[in-house]
Amino acid sequence: MRASIKPTALLFAILFAAGAALSAQWLNYPTAGIPRTPDGKPNLNAPAPRTPDGKPQLAGLWRPNPGLVGDVTRSFKAGEVVPFQPWAETLYKQRRATNSKDDPTANCIVGGTPRSDFVGYPFKILQVPGMVVILYEAVHAYRQIFTDGRPFPVDPQPTWFGYSIGHWDGDALVVETIGFNDKGWIDNAGKPGTEKLKVTERFVRKDFGNMDIQVTIDDPKAYTKPWSVTQPLAFQPDTELLEYICNENNKYFDLVHDFGK
Amino acid sequence: MVRVTTVALVVAMAATTSAQWIKYPTPGIPRTADGKPNLSAPAPRQPDGKPDLSGIWITQSLYIGDLAKDLKDGAPMTPWAAELYKHRRDTLSKEDPTGWCVVGGVPRSTAVPYPFKILHTNGMVVILYEAVHSFRQIFTDGRPLPTDPNPQWFGYSIGKWDGNTFVVSSAGFNDNAWLDNNGHPGTESMKVTERFRRKDFGHMDVTVTIDDPKAYTKPWDVTMPLVLQADTEMIEYMCTENERDLRHLVGK
Repeated sequence: MRASIKPTALLFAILFAAGAALSAQWLNYPTAGIPRTPDGKPNLNAPAPRTPDGKPQLAGLWRPNPGLVGDVTRSFKAGEVVPFQPWAETLYKQRRATNSKDDPTANCIVGGTPRSDFVGYPFKILQVPGMVVILYEAVHAYRQIFTDGRPFPVDPQPTWFGYSIGHWDGDALVVETIGFNDKGWIDNAGKPGTEKLKVTERFVRKDFGNMDIQVTIDDPKAYTKPWSVTQPLAFQPDTELLEYICNENNKYFDLVHDFGK
Repeated sequence: MVRVTTVALVVAMAATTSAQWIKYPTPGIPRTADGKPNLSAPAPRQPDGKPDLSGIWITQSLYIGDLAKDLKDGAPMTPWAAELYKHRRDTLSKEDPTGWCVVGGVPRSTAVPYPFKILHTNGMVVILYEAVHSFRQIFTDGRPLPTDPNPQWFGYSIGKWDGNTFVVSSAGFNDNAWLDNNGHPGTESMKVTERFRRKDFGHMDVTVTIDDPKAYTKPWDVTMPLVLQADTEMIEYMCTENERDLRHLVGK
């Protein structure tokens, strides 16, 4: 198992290196209207801002803490395991044994929900009337979360991001998502999601610079019971999203021939 | 001939997928007595009095084939641009980046027969494109264009109001732009100005001016009419999922 993880780890290292190389090109325009310390640096410990209706302001550029990138179970407590159904565990092991060579994101398909929460690329949250929108740097994609009180559609079109509705529970934005296709990868390691998947994300902004997303996976076809992880996010001041065009000069498949089995 | 075939194929695909669209009624829009969207109602306004451009829009004229089709003498190309354009036509657009599922960029993403959603948010107007599931940020916080922008397909866009017209200036393009399916070129010298004028609830014009002294001898423009799409939603367009077209785009 460890040996089979290694080439994948190498791949992640390459992806991170690519990210680092690009960082020098990022736009350094100062983010307007954010709290700053006397020396002009962003004050990431300032209180979380609020929208005119008193709810926490979630808008801004955020980046997932890279600790969970790759395998979300890194946040598990000792003894905690993913409650796989037998077929899902078999599929997961097959994905690990083949070094994720069937990963749909290799073909420049979006990570979808919730995987886009768990990648090492920033995303921008917008709050507009009736919606929260997330612009993802990864694969230059977006997701709409309807907050106008609508219910889920009865027979949603199966998609990678699913169909998302959100409401406030105190200071937490609770986003529920259904309507997935049967091809989902919950994380880079390849834990499966099916058309039965329901994802609940609780966005809790702790202060100006820090937010948690508590993600619950409820998919009775793939798992014997719901399971959860918490993804910390860090606010990204004075920078901007890059245009990530996955298919431009895509050489990934050459790499897969080396890594995959 | 081939161009017409391509357009027909795209339109046919759009017709096929339309049956699957989500038909949730758009809240808060003007309706006639029988409940239908009133596309002739006045254009809505934002709290600051400026027109509210938000909503789902789609072009009604197929300028996507040839953005310069209304110009009597065609686009005023410089010699090298005319040569590149001829090559792209002679090879039946086989090098079209969108064949590889790369985004159409500016202004091509506005001209395609796929809907897009305009959002107003603090300091920005954002456009979510159904085509290739992509997006674009237009900064309205007063910042200037960067002096040395990262070359991008969508460029770097800033917007301001000129009366009731939303004027978007974009620069910072890469050197591989296709402005339309025919392959009118754009270069790193290109500046694009888009003037969005919402005429009433259901109709908006966007006048696009192409100013690229490397590719064109003078600026030229095109006006594309947009129609609001009520009671529907964008679908998730995953270009590379089970993609079978590229191998057939062999050109010549």
